[in-house]
Amino acid sequence: MNELKVKELFQIAQGLRLDVVKMVHDAGDGHPGPALSIADVITTLYYNEMRIDPAKPLWEDRDRLILSKGHACPILYATLGRLGYFSVDEFDGLRDLGRILQGHPVFGKTPGVDMTSGSLGNGLSIGAGMAIAAKYNKKDYYTYVILGDGEIQEGIVWEAAMCAKKFKLDNLIAFVDLNGWQSGGTTDEVSGVTPIYEKWEAFGWYCQSVDGHDYAQISDAIANAKAQSGRPSMIVANCIKGKGLSYMENDNAWHKGVPTDEQLAIAYRELGGAV
Amino acid sequence: MKDYKGTREAFTMALMELAEQDPRYVMVCPDSLKAMRATEFAERFPERYIEVGIAEQNAMAVCTGLASCGLIPFVASYCGFLTMRACEQLRTFVAYPNMNVRIIGINGGLYGGEREGVTHQFFEDLGIVRSIPGITVETPADESQVYKAIKATALLEGPVYIRCGSGREPVVFDRSEPYEFGKLHVVREYGEDAVLFASGFLMNRAIAAADQLAQEGIKVTMCDVHTLKPLDTAHTSELLSRCGAAVTVEDHNIIGGLGSAIAETAASYCPTPVERVGLLDIFPSSGEAEALTDYYGMSVENIKAAVRKAVSRK
Repeated sequence: MNELKVKELFQIAQGLRLDVVKMVHDAGDGHPGPALSIADVITTLYYNEMRIDPAKPLWEDRDRLILSKGHACPILYATLGRLGYFSVDEFDGLRDLGRILQGHPVFGKTPGVDMTSGSLGNGLSIGAGMAIAAKYNKKDYYTYVILGDGEIQEGIVWEAAMCAKKFKLDNLIAFVDLNGWQSGGTTDEVSGVTPIYEKWEAFGWYCQSVDGHDYAQISDAIANAKAQSGRPSMIVANCIKGKGLSYMENDNAWHKGVPTDEQLAIAYRELGGAV
Repeated sequence: MKDYKGTREAFTMALMELAEQDPRYVMVCPDSLKAMRATEFAERFPERYIEVGIAEQNAMAVCTGLASCGLIPFVASYCGFLTMRACEQLRTFVAYPNMNVRIIGINGGLYGGEREGVTHQFFEDLGIVRSIPGITVETPADESQVYKAIKATALLEGPVYIRCGSGREPVVFDRSEPYEFGKLHVVREYGEDAVLFASGFLMNRAIAAADQLAQEGIKVTMCDVHTLKPLDTAHTSELLSRCGAAVTVEDHNIIGGLGSAIAETAASYCPTPVERVGLLDIFPSSGEAEALTDYYGMSVENIKAAVRKAVSRK
């Protein structure tokens, strides 16, 4: 990936981050920290990797993305809105009655959302189903799933891990957002989830570890994953929760939280204010 | 497959016929292929047999992925494992996004689980699925009704739950008997002293009770309710109004299933005394199916007594 592309993706991601902060500020509710953690992974996927057409959200040959850690949805909504799946005027209706940007992603309500999510742990199984369907239907699309490092404490995730290995789903590429935090504290305080990379390797997945805020590393890892034959891919993305905002980075109080007017003003300054 | 015997073989035969006609039909198994008597399907359509191992939650969510890509998956296993272990996947990821998934739950009721004990006796499944928005619920009584229920709902939009048996259930209906999705099926019309609603594997007992009561001077109208949701409320209300007393018969807890559905309809449209025959909200023992259902209050005599009581409350 050349420097120009890196710069372009960085600028896009900064704008999306600001959308997220503004959306949560205006809604008075939401999960900004988890959203900012995966902003660069999402940006790389939607702006550099995925085969999509915002004019045809249900195009059957499109690549799919399931945001399994659905509470991070403001970053997905910002991305889909900026790509033109729906009007950015919808951003002011996050979590509101009758609006298309529901509290967690809903398939069928928000154009571009490939599957409902928000109840943790379920996205990988659904992604496996999409990948099995691709092979059965002889389609060449990829299915991407983004999981949280807290989320993978759910048992169904490991049912899906076994299933994807069994079906040799080399068209399934998953990410774990490894930021070390979950709602109740650090992942090590709350659970015994670590080591994570080794677990996926033991389950027969092709594993890579990347800096989750380095566009080139993310992109290269996706290329490596696509070059694999006969096994699913896990990209462990080392991320910083709340990445991009000085007051939010690594402060788990922002797992769920609402920026004040002053904090929104800081976000404008730190993120470039391009909204 | 040339013919079927029992509800599980009936399922497999119906599925194979659908699969022959339409490549969208696939089967997802949480190690339930043999239990479903579906080995022949796997041999005939190996690429459409999706075995995920003992993992019902994953099986249900995989169905969502498949259905979202245009396929029509049947997920089939013991009904309690699908409706309880995988309840959230069924509710949030199959029903909420209105996926075309067919859930085939076998060994329903005490009749289905019998000697295995409570871990395999499922008498809450109908209450669970009925309370989830958007799921069609079929409760066929025997093998030919299972076959017909699968065919009748094959092209419905959205999820369908079909409660099947164990193969032990008696054959009640002739294969030529009509099966109209969403409608009550009147089986006996002796009179209007009471209306007797039955669904599922106790159908033979309900019919026997209606026949014996007619000999004893109590004339009932007896209906098979094979579509529990959406319930045929128009016809149900009309019968409740005409007869003025009702009895429900089901191999399920009296809470949540047919008894509740009829009582809710009565309360909303036509207040009527309703007596419910079924499992009386307790955990039962293991035991042989006929003895077990007799012991827990679902015998022909129990049904007759419930009718007499309902009539006395008019």
